[in-house]
Amino acid sequence: MSRDWRNQFPTRRQMFLGASGLVFAGLTIRLAELQLFRQAEFETKATETRIRLEPAPPHRGTIYDRTGRVLAGSKRNFYVTLRPELAGDDREIADIIDRISRIVPLSEAKKRSLYQEATTQAAFRDVLVADDLTWEQFAQVNVMAPELAGVTAEVGELRSYPLQAAFYHTIGYVAKANEADIMRMIEIETKAAGENPESPAGKARAAAVRRLYRHPAMRLGKTGIEAFGEARLKGDPGKIRLLQNAGGRVIDRLPSEDLQGKPGADVVLSIDAELQNFAIQRFGIEAGSAVMIDVATGEVVCMMSTPAPDPNLFVSGIAAGPYQALRADERNPLYHKAYDGVYPPGSTFKTVVAAAALESGAMKPEDTVQCSGKAWYYNRFYNCWRPQGHGTVNLHSGLMHSCDCYFYRAAEKTGIEAIAEVAKRFGLGHRYELGVTGGKSGSVPNDAWKRKVIGEQWYAGDTISAAIGQGYVTATPFQLAVMCGRIASGGAMPNPHLVASGFNVPDYEITPMGTFKPGVLEAVRSGMFGVTAEPGGTAYNYLQGGSVDPKGELPAPYTNAKMAGKSGTAQVRVIQASERNSRGEAIKNDKLPWKLRDHALFIAYAPADKPRYAVAVVVEHGVSGSGLAAPIARDLLAHALKYDTGSRKPFVPKPKEVALAEQVKT
Amino acid sequence: MIRRDSLLHKLTQLHWFLLLTIIAIATFGTLVLFSAGSSAHDLATGLLKIDATYAIQHATRFVLMLGVALVVALLPLRLWAAVAYPAYAIGVVMLVMVDFGGVVVNGAERWLQLGPLRLQPSELMKIAVPLALARYYHQMFSVGRSSLWTHFIAFVMVLIPVGLVLRQPDLGTALMIMGTGCAVIFFAGISLRLVIGIFALVAVLTPLVYFFGMHDYQRQRIETMFNPEADPLGAGYQLQQGLIAVGSGGLAGKGFMEGAQKELKYIPEQHTDFIFSIIAEEFGFVGSLVVLIAWGIALIQGMQIAGNSRSTFGGLAAAGFVSTLLLYVGINIGMVIGLLPVVGIPLPLISYGGTVIVTVMIGFGLLMAVHLNRANDMTLSGLF
Repeated sequence: MSRDWRNQFPTRRQMFLGASGLVFAGLTIRLAELQLFRQAEFETKATETRIRLEPAPPHRGTIYDRTGRVLAGSKRNFYVTLRPELAGDDREIADIIDRISRIVPLSEAKKRSLYQEATTQAAFRDVLVADDLTWEQFAQVNVMAPELAGVTAEVGELRSYPLQAAFYHTIGYVAKANEADIMRMIEIETKAAGENPESPAGKARAAAVRRLYRHPAMRLGKTGIEAFGEARLKGDPGKIRLLQNAGGRVIDRLPSEDLQGKPGADVVLSIDAELQNFAIQRFGIEAGSAVMIDVATGEVVCMMSTPAPDPNLFVSGIAAGPYQALRADERNPLYHKAYDGVYPPGSTFKTVVAAAALESGAMKPEDTVQCSGKAWYYNRFYNCWRPQGHGTVNLHSGLMHSCDCYFYRAAEKTGIEAIAEVAKRFGLGHRYELGVTGGKSGSVPNDAWKRKVIGEQWYAGDTISAAIGQGYVTATPFQLAVMCGRIASGGAMPNPHLVASGFNVPDYEITPMGTFKPGVLEAVRSGMFGVTAEPGGTAYNYLQGGSVDPKGELPAPYTNAKMAGKSGTAQVRVIQASERNSRGEAIKNDKLPWKLRDHALFIAYAPADKPRYAVAVVVEHGVSGSGLAAPIARDLLAHALKYDTGSRKPFVPKPKEVALAEQVKT
Repeated sequence: MIRRDSLLHKLTQLHWFLLLTIIAIATFGTLVLFSAGSSAHDLATGLLKIDATYAIQHATRFVLMLGVALVVALLPLRLWAAVAYPAYAIGVVMLVMVDFGGVVVNGAERWLQLGPLRLQPSELMKIAVPLALARYYHQMFSVGRSSLWTHFIAFVMVLIPVGLVLRQPDLGTALMIMGTGCAVIFFAGISLRLVIGIFALVAVLTPLVYFFGMHDYQRQRIETMFNPEADPLGAGYQLQQGLIAVGSGGLAGKGFMEGAQKELKYIPEQHTDFIFSIIAEEFGFVGSLVVLIAWGIALIQGMQIAGNSRSTFGGLAAAGFVSTLLLYVGINIGMVIGLLPVVGIPLPLISYGGTVIVTVMIGFGLLMAVHLNRANDMTLSGLF
């Protein structure tokens, strides 16, 4: 009967409504639990989800020249990153890279390597797609970003080298860190903090270092000062709070002042950028290097190597093609010729032999040697560079004319051990620590050296070759400049250094010059003065009488200053006897391919009477030390004396606030 | 004087309290959907951002369906009793068609493409099943049959569509049809002892079904519910983010258009199935309770209508629909606040989406029709 259900309905309805009441009560209790009792917990979770803490690369320290000119600074950088996990599967990643390349041109090779990186490395890590975007590109990416999952357009800083190629070798460049770099930095940082790499603190530090260098905007010094000073220049990373949406897209940057890192230390070099630029211009198309040291302070005021690539090319990664071209260039643009270039010092080494002969007492300044254009030692002829010979030569004229025969005799009488000792005291055979990566020590040979390095005893003939800076003797242009400075200053010159402030570059192994017997250095200097300033000196004709200031324009006390110097020609190849003609003349250099021509060397200091700057110039395959290198040396000295920046204290950077304020604004 | 059977008279006799409750809930839903697209302080610009697309669509649909509901209410109840069986039959046929040749949209939702029409037969069954059962019991009781067999046949009538919907597979809708059908059988007077027995049986069978009768993704949903943090980026993500939104709402909420979880779009489907998370985030515990109370009022109204109906058809159809509503609200809110697995059931009148509003408004129309015809006992002779 229908009555049946009707009678029961009120009860059943009560039961139903009771059950509904239970359901609603359950919902209410759960809501109360979530919203009233666990609100704080969920609020925290909400914040954690929304706010992402990212390491913020610190402001990299600026590198200045001694006058305060920026050599390596930071510029604003618009860059694009891609987070693979948000972009989707491999196909979508490829699609996104493709779409970005319509805004920011990317080469096919770059696209491939990006795809490779995005699909193989950890998916939660941002991949740098492109940087150094123009404002228009940046704006376009920003507009497109909502459709490009995982893509973020960001603003950061990028290293920039305003003087471009001028400081490529000395300052080096920064680029993205690779795995080896990161491992090296982890080692350096844990060591500096005195932590055990296996301890939790050490591991945390390693992870932090890795995280920082993995940041798309972070760069690491690869060469030069940038690499040597990395730990000081980079600063301490801070963190930044980013508000992100569900897609991981950064919506906003939240105040993060409390998490700010410490900017890197500014570094000031003793180099005068103006002089450096002048030197590069003066070299023109020639390849070579020049180093100038302020004799009074030991500061390196010029250290250039030319040609050089623009370091800005390396900051965002140089493409394989241009890089191969740089590597293949016979002028070696990637090579720091002043610091890493090892050359036979040629006749510039005669200053060492002269000083050694006098110091050891083997020769007196007035002792003479007969030069007939060649000399017979140990069953063979040794040629003088002048086949006609120089006649009767003493120390002064020997240096002045650069007579080989005189120095063959002087070296024979002095012996290699005494020569080597003086060479060391003059500053050769040591790698100077300047705060720059690389650097060569050259070699100052003696019996022990040859046994160790060549595995042979020292033959008497080796001494004869060494007398004129050939054979086993090698030196870098930097060492030649130090040698010149020591000769000029008589040992008063402080040890050479390049970094004026920013970090310490201790070098405890420099051989001190010590004191020479009275008259020794004076005699050498007198010979060097003869080279430039006395008629018949090898460089006299090229230097118009050795004056640095022929027009009397230099300021006091340098007005009418003269220079002293010594030329050198370093053979690139051994001249065989068969190659000499009947008069004993070797094949002319201009008949040889560029690569086989002799290097032209010149060391000089000025003013000759009261030395202030000492310079070494090496023109690769420049043939004539006196003809090509000497005028360059003179012009560099003239420039240095004219502006005399060495006499003013190096620039002291302002406190960091200014730089920081600028950084925050961007 | 208004004539008793005139249209105007019928309008005055409408269940206005229920109608106002519905309008209130739908209006609130429109507001929430307005907030879902808008923001008081847009994070990108810091300015007021307004996007009323969802809200306008929702309001339009509601007004349209309100008209339909009134038409349903004003048409004679016996008409609906007459279409009950055909509707049920058509529904079953369409479910079969969907299962063997339907168009798949959005995973579990199954649609039938009939020319330009796109139908979701499982949705139709939410109304057709209680109607058919009410019609069935009405006929049975009028001839005096109320044995266990009668209930058993009714149960089979429920199982057929449930089985077909499960095959799709749409666990949520299947559960709802099952629940609605069982509720009608319950109100039809099945013995309580049997009910308790069946509950006990279900308790035993549940683990068996869980391990052998479910799809992996269904099992995963249930597992996620119990341990949402195990898979924060995968299946548990939606729930986890929903819980964060609800929990961070606190007592009074963050304010209209101020929800941060909402704005950053952390919650997938936040304007459809997870709309309650926005309510909880922006209006807090207080706002959530208001929604619950509003629905509670609607349920009580519905049950009163059912109790007042003199006809078996009207009473059972009304009770069945009220059960559907309870299931909708309970399952939806339960899943958003992490008490139930995420099964894809929207919150009626508030969630954005066309299907649920059609179902629910037709149901309310029927409820009001039952109310208007409460005095008519609709004997069998009067039915045809």
